[in-house]
Amino acid sequence: MMRVISQSVVPRDITDQFTKAASRLRTGQLVKDEYFTLFEAVGALEIMDSKMDSGYLGPGQNDVQALEDDYDTTRELAPELVIGIMDELLCHEMAWHMGHPLSQTLFTSLYLDKLLWPIPKTLEEAHFCRPGSTTNKEEPGMVHLVLRAYCLALIKCCDFVHARVINEYFYEEEDFVTQLYNRSLLSQFDPEYFRSLLDRAISWVNEQGDSIGGKLKEAISCRLAFRRDFLLSLDQDLDVIQSRSASHFSSCLSRLDPIMDSASLGRSVPEAFSWKIQRKLASTVPPRPMVKISVEDALAHLKRLCQDAIDLLDVLDYSGPHNLKVAVWTLLSRKPQPSVYIRSLVQSMIMSNVTVLGAVPVKQFLYDELAEIVLPASTLLQANTDETEMPTDPRFQIANHMDAFVKRFAQPFVDTFRSACLNRCRIRRTVCHTIVDWDNLQMEAEDLDEQLRTLNNESPLMLQNGDATYSYPLSSWAYHQKLNQFRLIIQLGFELSIYSPEELPGMYWYLSHVCSTHLGHIDRIRTFTVATAKRNLTALAGKKRDAVERHAALQNTLRLLERLTTQIVAVDAFAISLHALYVLLARHEILPTAAAAQAYSSERLRYELRMKPFLPITLPELVPFDEYRREAILEGDSDEIVLERATKAISEARKAWEATLANGAFIRDPQDQVNQTLAIEEDWKKDVKNTMRACIGASIAIETMKKALTARRASNDAVSLQVSIPEMGSKARWHDWWVVPQVSPDPSGSSDMKPV
Amino acid sequence: MDENQAVQYLESLIGQTLRVHATDTRIFVGAFKCTDSARNIILASTYEYRFPSTSAVRDTVTSAENEDSAIGAAPQNVKANMTSRFIGLVVVPGQHITKIELEETPQQSRVRETLKKS
Repeated sequence: MMRVISQSVVPRDITDQFTKAASRLRTGQLVKDEYFTLFEAVGALEIMDSKMDSGYLGPGQNDVQALEDDYDTTRELAPELVIGIMDELLCHEMAWHMGHPLSQTLFTSLYLDKLLWPIPKTLEEAHFCRPGSTTNKEEPGMVHLVLRAYCLALIKCCDFVHARVINEYFYEEEDFVTQLYNRSLLSQFDPEYFRSLLDRAISWVNEQGDSIGGKLKEAISCRLAFRRDFLLSLDQDLDVIQSRSASHFSSCLSRLDPIMDSASLGRSVPEAFSWKIQRKLASTVPPRPMVKISVEDALAHLKRLCQDAIDLLDVLDYSGPHNLKVAVWTLLSRKPQPSVYIRSLVQSMIMSNVTVLGAVPVKQFLYDELAEIVLPASTLLQANTDETEMPTDPRFQIANHMDAFVKRFAQPFVDTFRSACLNRCRIRRTVCHTIVDWDNLQMEAEDLDEQLRTLNNESPLMLQNGDATYSYPLSSWAYHQKLNQFRLIIQLGFELSIYSPEELPGMYWYLSHVCSTHLGHIDRIRTFTVATAKRNLTALAGKKRDAVERHAALQNTLRLLERLTTQIVAVDAFAISLHALYVLLARHEILPTAAAAQAYSSERLRYELRMKPFLPITLPELVPFDEYRREAILEGDSDEIVLERATKAISEARKAWEATLANGAFIRDPQDQVNQTLAIEEDWKKDVKNTMRACIGASIAIETMKKALTARRASNDAVSLQVSIPEMGSKARWHDWWVVPQVSPDPSGSSDMKPV
Repeated sequence: MDENQAVQYLESLIGQTLRVHATDTRIFVGAFKCTDSARNIILASTYEYRFPSTSAVRDTVTSAENEDSAIGAAPQNVKANMTSRFIGLVVVPGQHITKIELEETPQQSRVRETLKKS
């Protein structure tokens, strides 16, 4: 961007007049543009301030030291040096992927600077000889052909990544820095140019006789070929939905090991990178140090990116919303979390142009979900305005109501998938916000349910006390969604280490409380499904075809409800057991605490804080603090009862997790015998197995506690145990969502040292 | 010049393009937004100009020499561009200002001259 000035402008020196006039002003008096506010003025950069002025040169620094780099980008380089520069560029590229700004990574390269500034109008203009000549006059060789092709293709790769990320939800400076400092990443040029440049470079390298050593030649070819594959992979982007091919990414992946092996052949050229270029960028911050990551780290990041991109194909095979959610969650829960590019790509796949995975219209997607859980083979989902145009026809009205429902619910529903693509902290924050929306949605769905019930002539179920009750399918489903979110907020709280040790008993109690509410709710849905299935039996006896289909649909729903029940029971039982264990640790004052004794925080305040996301929620109702406290400390239960509770619950949890594992990650069509296990399925299994390890860890801790309690001579003796809470990422923390305390005999407190 | 006249004069400059020279020889060109008694100046949509570095001058001279030698004449003067970049809203503290220039079109300067005479 250049300033536009008409040639005829003449500057006139007004220094004296200006100075005189300004000196007449009173202190504090301002002369300003009437629309210019002081608030804006705060945002102005102060020139000559070393912390704000990116062009400021400190005392003793002259232009040459601070701005100039005495490096000749036109001179030919030995192959070793070209390898060194390529690898360093790759490190910078990955550092940018990891969230560092371009100014401290790729834009420190003098070669890239030459290519990108001044902004080239044609690709031919982008070469290392500028300014001065308009075309690349140099002999094709290591620098002007090979390195140039590599650099240009690298910039284009960044352009693809940049374009994908800025189109989706991400958090600036948290996930990624999109700032381009007024430079262009060659977006306007066709990727085909870059590919042919690389092809030329590859064949040139291969044509060179013995002038380049065999190993060096191979290393350079490999890097160029990698760049070509990576360019094609990123160019494919969303087209993968149609192509269903990860061949480019697989090919990238296969080149990473040779790159690692030959990295030692390269010699680094530190002079080819300079932090000083930052002074020339349109930036509001003074230059910051260059970001350095090792080749190992860069390649590890790249490897994961390629692998995630390949496994992404598993997500694309649509087989219902339940399976999709499992697949998306499992892929995005990988450790370390998939890179921002992958997460952006998944977001776009989940929803682009009002279609899910590029194939399923959003309405169908929502209907599939309803059919899976609350409305199997229901007339509500079959009504369609296109077929009945008579406004008095109940089917027409049902269709209208259902359309209104889709309009209102489709986006929030799809967002429950997309939110998984954010970074972990943001997932929790986002769900804390959306849960309030779902509370409102549930109420709206209830109104719709009441209207649909009359249109549909739904017959009520008679309860044992003689009351009639209706199924409320839409609001039931919304409530189910909301309870899922409740559970997620608490469990992500464990993962993000939000709770202090003294809060663990209460939070695990709360988790089990949410689970049992959820189980009750699923039971209600099941009751209605079973009743419908019973009614269908008579028709089934008549061997009517639609009755057979209906029967199959109802059975599928019952199976899914069973699957959900098993999973929630597993969570519930584990939570109950950990709750009981933590209660004992707290009772005997061996649970570590984060708050100091004189700290301002109190149990009541902490509870208020943790319940904040749930305060505006109408259903399930908030547990009052006093009731919570009684439950959380298991008031009135003796140690023996609590111990018994922990032991029973943990064995139930282990059984339920085993059953969950046996059910598998995905609902599969029993007719459809696919033996091939997906990569994501393996991840899912690993996750469940880790949970089971955590269960075993908990059993051991409970046993240790039991022994220590019985070993005491008197009931008022202190328990000689040592307790530590494993941190996130430590080896003893088997699973992010399960904080299992490590309980071991206290070596310092043997019983005979205690006063009798 | 009394206070009223001073304010009037400065207000007449608001929104005009100023070239503010700083003690380190950089020039800031932007729309005049605000000033105070310490002569601090706020400019909007500012570009920073820096004199070409010695090596840039050297390069220009070399390429000029090459071209000149081609036509066989001795070089007299060469032109090297100042480097510029956009930096947006800035405040230049009064003590760092060495010179202030007002950008005018020839018409503007004619109007000013006429007004001065009358």
